[in-house]
Amino acid sequence: MAEGQYAHARYAGDNGQLFWLAFRTGLLTLVTLGIYRFWAKTRIRRYIWSAVELDGSRFEYTGTGLEKFLGFLMAVIILAVYLGVIQIVLFYFGISLFGGADAATSVVAVNASVLAVLPFVFFAVYRARRYRMARTRWRGIRFGMDRNAWGYALRAMGYWALTLLTLGLMLPLQTFRLEQYMTDRTWFGDARFRQEGHWTALYGRMRHVFIGIGLIVLGSIGAAAGAAGDWGWGAAGIAAIPVGAVWLAIGVISYRVQSFAYLARTKVLDEQVGFHARPETSTVILTWIVGSLIVGAAVGIFLALVGGGAAIIFGGLASTGGLDGIDPSGPAVLLPLLGGAMTYILVFVAAEAGGLALITQPILKHYVDTLTVIDPDALGEIRQRAADKGADAEGFADALDIGGAI
Amino acid sequence: MEGRASFHDGGTAARHEVRLRLSEDNQALVIEGDSLPAPLRWPLADLRALGDHADAARLVVTRHADHVPDALPRDPARLVIEDPRLIEWLHRTRPRLHRRDLRAGTGRRVALRLGGALAAVLLMLFVILPSMAGTLARLLPVEREVAFGRTVTAQMERMLGAESPGSLDCEAPGGTAALEAMVARLTEGRALDYDLRVRVLDSGMVNAFAAPGGQIVVMRGLLDKAEGPDMVAAVLAHEIGHVVHRDPTRNALRAAGSVGLLGLLFGDFTGGAAMVLLADRLINASYGQEAETQADIYAHAMLRDAGLPPAALAEMFERFRDLGGEVDGALAHFMSHPRLSERIDGARAAPPPEGAVTPALDPGQWRALQGICGAPD
Repeated sequence: MAEGQYAHARYAGDNGQLFWLAFRTGLLTLVTLGIYRFWAKTRIRRYIWSAVELDGSRFEYTGTGLEKFLGFLMAVIILAVYLGVIQIVLFYFGISLFGGADAATSVVAVNASVLAVLPFVFFAVYRARRYRMARTRWRGIRFGMDRNAWGYALRAMGYWALTLLTLGLMLPLQTFRLEQYMTDRTWFGDARFRQEGHWTALYGRMRHVFIGIGLIVLGSIGAAAGAAGDWGWGAAGIAAIPVGAVWLAIGVISYRVQSFAYLARTKVLDEQVGFHARPETSTVILTWIVGSLIVGAAVGIFLALVGGGAAIIFGGLASTGGLDGIDPSGPAVLLPLLGGAMTYILVFVAAEAGGLALITQPILKHYVDTLTVIDPDALGEIRQRAADKGADAEGFADALDIGGAI
Repeated sequence: MEGRASFHDGGTAARHEVRLRLSEDNQALVIEGDSLPAPLRWPLADLRALGDHADAARLVVTRHADHVPDALPRDPARLVIEDPRLIEWLHRTRPRLHRRDLRAGTGRRVALRLGGALAAVLLMLFVILPSMAGTLARLLPVEREVAFGRTVTAQMERMLGAESPGSLDCEAPGGTAALEAMVARLTEGRALDYDLRVRVLDSGMVNAFAAPGGQIVVMRGLLDKAEGPDMVAAVLAHEIGHVVHRDPTRNALRAAGSVGLLGLLFGDFTGGAAMVLLADRLINASYGQEAETQADIYAHAMLRDAGLPPAALAEMFERFRDLGGEVDGALAHFMSHPRLSERIDGARAAPPPEGAVTPALDPGQWRALQGICGAPD
């Protein structure tokens, strides 16, 4: 794969294989009341990591379901105790300040409890990335991250507050500094990553967001003019608002894809290995649309077939008079009900697996396939690093349900 | 058996091109390469393959090793085999290739962590949250409790199908006067922290409940099924007991805490919400038993002081039982009220009032109370 001083990354996962793996492990998760989900996620990661190839060598994921399960238990104990106490105290202040469980109280209480959990959310984000890094290997060498989860949580809250107070204008600063905080603490073996570049460069990646907002604002002004009697401006304004909304949505995705690309291009490993990333926003959006259509159509066709079959069977029973006098709690009624519930669950699990195989995986493939490592020969000199116990093994992220698809 | 492979020694990220062969004694795989300082010998029994690999044409092999600090007891070195003959040979002759090796003491570690989690959750649900709820309920100013109670009853009315709060209220003047007379007789000579507000709602349910802040709601179905005014008075006395003990407020506070906690435990898989509700029901049922017993004891004393027989409570419970409210066995836990027979015995054993007993209402008042929702259709 190495072409002189470049190594192109390649993603070699298969949609069918990943679908069946996700479907099988999804069913096991269901049967075990959710407990198998730690093993399911681990197995799916093992598959996805091993499909990423760089310079002829595949990546490896070495996490275990057991350590994730144990980490989850630990996180749940801490969070459950914390949340139980927070909720009861908030509820008390809710009724003693506002006098009731009415809309205003519940809004305040929900916001306050979200705020109370927020430090743990950012803590969990860093911890989860540290765990995934610590369990990732390439050519047998471990990746790793320093232990700075609380430092990250503190900064994340500060930058988020700044972004909210400036109505999003400082978002590039937040994106850049938080990524820099994590990258500067990331290692491959004994080599450290460093985030270079400058946060103001991200404003260029935000331009479609600004255009979308501009269209909505201008459209609103035009619509206001229309209400004041100027019909031409009014019609143009009303037409501009939906265009601006779609443009804004695409702009948000574009910002995410292109800021990732910029931040990847400005990363340096061990002061000599560079990266080049060229993901296309249009490919990401198109892949998402096509994948969603396929999964949606498959679910629709399957349900129509099953529903049609059931209708024919029941129609037959009814026309022979078979439905009269049936005991409503008897097997003749319960079995189809049970069958319906089972079908629903199967379709649900299959749709999740389909989304992973046909949406998440192709988008990931695009990101990997457009990534190039510059000067990969220097990687051969890198030495092993010590193992990281991984603390909660992503347990906080699992308990707070912020894990994402993979 | 011979072949070629690439090898990563686990110490550096370099790639070594190696030759593989079986050792003389057929017990180990020998790994030799020009870039390796010395040939390596991996016992065949220790060979392990990586699972769920995306490339079926390549087998990544490592070695079982107990001394490593990783989660899995595996050597950090990796042997990447792409020779199909070699892969086939390994699969055929090495049944333990895909074995999962658990470290010694894994079972104990899992049991400890599970037990610890269970103990912490139970301690929270049954000790810490109830005692916090009790303390906070006592701290809450009465006027706040009353305001909170109003929103709770408004919610209840909506659930019963009221278009607006108060639209289900039954307010026939004669019936209201009879109800007030009954409450006055029960509370005479007692200093209560709350102004009791007793209402009748037009609903067929045979039930009555107390909301925070002195609000008591009686359903029309209870008046219909009661065999006399004493039975209604007994139910009222029981609900006043809940009000005085601040049970509804404590219950709401405790539910807020346990829903926050249980939502986290079960929040993350399909059907989680149902589990949360079910579990919350279970907790509040066992919480309810102690509170119900205390409210019964309060009612016995209140009835006696008002010159009414506590046994009227027993008669009302028997009426409940005839209507099918008794559930024994496994389902008993899920009932808010403790088993009725025990409570019936308790009410019969309570000392009756001294002197003459007169019914809670005279026959005219009782007819008026039963007609508080207007003439039945």
